[in-house]
Amino acid sequence: MSEERIERLVRTWIATEQQEEVDAAVAELSSGNASLLPLVKALGEYLTSEEDDQRTKGVEFLSSVLARFPREKLNRQSVRVLVTFYCGKLEDTETIIPALKGLVALVAAPTFTSTDAVEVVRALFRHVKMKVLIQAQRFLVFTIIDTLLANHREAFKGMVKEFLDGYIAIAEGEKDPRNLLLAFAIARVILIEFDISAHVEDLFNITFCYFPITFRPPPDDPYGITSDDLKNALRACLNATPSFGPWAIPLFLEKVTAGSPVTKRDTLQTLDACLPVYGASMARTHARKLWNTLKLEIFQPTDPETEAKALKSTQILIQTIYANGADGDSQEIEGLAKEACEECLRILKEPEKSQAKPATKVLCAFMSTTPSVARFTLSQAIPHFVRLFLDPDEAPNRAPTLRLLSDVVAAARDSTLKDLEVLDEDEEVPLSPYKDEVLGVFSVGLKNSVTCKHALEGLRNLVTTHGLLSDEELGFIVHSVNEILLKEGMEDDDIGEGILELFIAISTTAPRHVTETTLPLLFSSLPDRAPPRSADADRLRVWHILAFLKKLCIQSDLFEMFVVRLSTKLDLVCTPRTAAEGEESDVEPSAAYAHSILRTLADVLAIKVDKEHPDVAKYIDRLLPRLYHLHIYSALSAEESQAIATDERLVAVSAEIITLIMQVQTAQKQDAFIQSLFAAYFEGQASQIADGQPKLPADNSFKPFEPQVDPLQKHLVPLFSAAVVALRKEVAFPTENEGTVLHSLLLWSLDEAQTSLQRDACNHAIGSVVNKRAEGLSSFLSEELDTFWSANIADTSVPAERRRNAISAWIWIAKALLIRRHSTAMSYAERLFVLFDDTEVSWDAARAIGQIVRADKVLTKRNHAVIKILYAQKFFNALLPRIVEGAKAPGDPRRQNAYLVALTSLIKAIPKTTYAHELPTLMPLLLRGLELPDPEIRANVIDTFLVTADPDAKEKSAISEHATSLVHTMLKNSMVSQQPSVRLRVSALRYLAKLPSLVRYDVLHPQKATVVRELAKALDDPKKAVRKEAVEARTNWFKFSG
Amino acid sequence: MSSEAFNPNPTIFVPTKSKTAAAFLRSNSLWLDDGERHGDAEDYEEDSDEVEEIDQDEIFELIRSISDPEHRSMTLEQLAVVSAPQISFDSADAQRQSRRVTVEFTPTVPHCGMSTFIGLSIRVRLLRSLPNRFKVDIRVKPGSHQSEHALNKQLNDKERVAAALENPALLEVLEQCLAGATP
Repeated sequence: MSEERIERLVRTWIATEQQEEVDAAVAELSSGNASLLPLVKALGEYLTSEEDDQRTKGVEFLSSVLARFPREKLNRQSVRVLVTFYCGKLEDTETIIPALKGLVALVAAPTFTSTDAVEVVRALFRHVKMKVLIQAQRFLVFTIIDTLLANHREAFKGMVKEFLDGYIAIAEGEKDPRNLLLAFAIARVILIEFDISAHVEDLFNITFCYFPITFRPPPDDPYGITSDDLKNALRACLNATPSFGPWAIPLFLEKVTAGSPVTKRDTLQTLDACLPVYGASMARTHARKLWNTLKLEIFQPTDPETEAKALKSTQILIQTIYANGADGDSQEIEGLAKEACEECLRILKEPEKSQAKPATKVLCAFMSTTPSVARFTLSQAIPHFVRLFLDPDEAPNRAPTLRLLSDVVAAARDSTLKDLEVLDEDEEVPLSPYKDEVLGVFSVGLKNSVTCKHALEGLRNLVTTHGLLSDEELGFIVHSVNEILLKEGMEDDDIGEGILELFIAISTTAPRHVTETTLPLLFSSLPDRAPPRSADADRLRVWHILAFLKKLCIQSDLFEMFVVRLSTKLDLVCTPRTAAEGEESDVEPSAAYAHSILRTLADVLAIKVDKEHPDVAKYIDRLLPRLYHLHIYSALSAEESQAIATDERLVAVSAEIITLIMQVQTAQKQDAFIQSLFAAYFEGQASQIADGQPKLPADNSFKPFEPQVDPLQKHLVPLFSAAVVALRKEVAFPTENEGTVLHSLLLWSLDEAQTSLQRDACNHAIGSVVNKRAEGLSSFLSEELDTFWSANIADTSVPAERRRNAISAWIWIAKALLIRRHSTAMSYAERLFVLFDDTEVSWDAARAIGQIVRADKVLTKRNHAVIKILYAQKFFNALLPRIVEGAKAPGDPRRQNAYLVALTSLIKAIPKTTYAHELPTLMPLLLRGLELPDPEIRANVIDTFLVTADPDAKEKSAISEHATSLVHTMLKNSMVSQQPSVRLRVSALRYLAKLPSLVRYDVLHPQKATVVRELAKALDDPKKAVRKEAVEARTNWFKFSG
Repeated sequence: MSSEAFNPNPTIFVPTKSKTAAAFLRSNSLWLDDGERHGDAEDYEEDSDEVEEIDQDEIFELIRSISDPEHRSMTLEQLAVVSAPQISFDSADAQRQSRRVTVEFTPTVPHCGMSTFIGLSIRVRLLRSLPNRFKVDIRVKPGSHQSEHALNKQLNDKERVAAALENPALLEVLEQCLAGATP
């Protein structure tokens, strides 16, 4: 019954060739007794038909079924029959292709035996002519051999000669990358597993003929074979057997010498893979030739990448040659390492020459080869450099000598870094035997300003060598460097930098030496009183020391000392001095000195917060009370002229410090602090947050928010808001209604605040609370703000200044809501459009549109602000249509301009990706923006053009059609005669410099002469910064050609 | 270009320090400048009308990065072919209009055949980068080259400089050198 069905299926398939019949036949056969014989029987007439077409189809169907037939169900008998059958069909040119398909499936069957394998392979070798097959068919042949080789390797080992002859004939001349990947895999197995002694040359020919691979995949290659896939597969063949060595090495040498840079690198990399396999004696035989070729790539490098690869290959060569050099054996090094080393040292007799650098690189490379070669190289190189350094005739060349010695020390250090784990504790660091002389040479080098920089670098390399220097020696280094620290270290930037790096390296392991000797030295050279106004040199020195401390004192031990010493210094500087008789008191230098100390503190803190150092948190108790005390005491002290710490510039920096320290506190700590802060600012209990000497007056007179208070106290409001902006969102104000506090802050900023710093501080605090705690503020956000809008912004009878300030506050509230994507945020922004007709504040309202969405430093993740992604996108998409429409609408030019201002400020404020797709629409409007009288707006527009300039999108960009007018506008804006704003001139010139890369030459060509001529005027600009840009722009236009 | 190098292994000099130290002083104020932290990094003094004259350092800045035609990876400064002290202004015309500048350079070896080319590249860079009122003289350091006189004459001959720039092959190499060293 089943046989009938099969017969029917066969007939149908022969007629239609549909996949369904194949599937049905597979299902039928595998459900039955799982023998393929019924099928063969049914196919009988076709398989033996006289008609070619019928035979092909018959075999095709059988193979298709076989391919889908479950392999484990194929019984031994079927396999046997099929093997004989298919081998027979290979002879027949009409059936060879379907037969190959069948064999692919058949050879993978578990019941397929080694005898079958030999039979199949013989048939393949005898009948298959690769040259007449297409790629896909050749692929089948390789697949069959690959499978056979994987499963029946041993059987072929018995017929090595026959197998290899046959396979070589098959593989020869293959070109398709897909087939090659298989062929390389097969070749690797053969090369490793088989006795190839009689066939080395043939195998060499069918593998090395592909080297180097120059294949580049077609643009949308569906097979995804990369050049690297092929390179790696081929490399795995080339290094599969040492027998290739004698042929391969000359070939490699030729390719390195004559190839393109890519070929050179590929060859060097392949050489690296092959040399260790080819073995030490092979490497030794070719050592001289290899070295000569590699040397050329190192001493006259094509490019840095090839140079690095050549150095790497040199290392492999040395490693290969000396691999069995019995480590720990003190035998003299002979051969290449010795010769090459001596060659380099000969060159290094002139350390100042340009060839000295590559020679040192070679020596450094030797350091990471074998321990014995490394020891030998060190024993040659270090005494050489030390001798050179000490030779009086070579004195002028001490600087390059030290630089090269320092490189060698670094290489010696890095050679042990890698195997730190295997290095025993008691095993000697390679540099140890030379430690004293090297340390001595570098110490001498410190004393001379020319060699100092390199000596410092060398010392740093010694210090960072694991396990080399003793604690005493580190102390000695610190001591020696301290001697030059205050003079050369502060006068020469390079030396200062070198000292810093050295100290930073020492502090990571032994901070004690630096805190005990260096820091006291530095702090004691900071004066307790500010240098007077005229003492420029002293002031410069102070700044240098502070700049140095700023970079040095980041490590926690050092920082602790730094905070203690600097806050003491601050107290001294800010304490009013009892002016000596007849001396005119000048507080500004003191204030400026205090400011620079605070600035330094703030900068170091910022770095530490960035690096998430845990010790920052404790300074809420150690530093903040002293800071608040400093300022509050100053504000309360009687004499206004002496109140140094109430200077706004100082307050601004202290505010930064407070915010930085508050950011890292836990909610609990913040909660406690905010209670004290409120007590201090609203209830007169300043001592709650301030602590220090001399004591604050006990009369509770610190009330900065009260009306009619001493204006000095108002200066300290920013210190209140500095703490508030860093609060976490779960921390509440210690008050019943936060809205009331915000409202009173809002009014204080309009009614009482005297400076923009005070107003901004209030706005920041309000914005921060609104952002984090909007849920509990509904009444403030609706009713109170409504009243605020109509009373202070919409009302045209209110003075313009007050309206502007109110708009600033409005911006911060809108911004706070926008970044958390609060549902009402847009309505706050949209209200501003009403003001675009206003005679006084229209531009302020327009600028506000951009300011709302602009990123700022207050509402940040660090300050625990609630930020939802894509808020800028949403804002832009919602407002853009309205702005574009407004700018295009006919009518009042004032309103139109306000829309243009809004557009420029909006675009300046948001990331490029947000608006890039709208650029073609926006271009004409932005170009109109360039005609507005305000130089800042024009500079903003040009900056937008600069940001969006994309040289890769030359054809698509909207710039080309406006190119001519852009050129003229930019030229106009870059001339000092027409444009007083430096920023605008710089921006315009930068854009001019970029234009040649943005627009095709044929478009801009007519402008070239004009631009070059006009820019000659800009070269004579009174400002250096402008001239620099003009040079750049003019150079680019000169170079601009078709 | 000849394959035989005129000086295959030239001496390298440590570049003179750029005057970053003066950045503190330049602000010329009691206050430590913290402009970079507030607003834009570039804070131009909009209202100052002070004229910053072109000086020796600014001219040196223009030519120091030109690469040596024989050793492309090194700059003229590294090879001490040019240096700031070798640039001088004619003190006679202290008034603003038309100033005369002399730029002197030192070939690395006296037989250096590249000297003309180096001089030409300095000439072109300054032609492009200095205002027209500057007249530039370029000469080799006295005694540093075997055909010193001919070189000086050639480099200051307008016609010959212009003619050289008509040669596209030469111009291409020139542009590469002007683009700076590629280490």
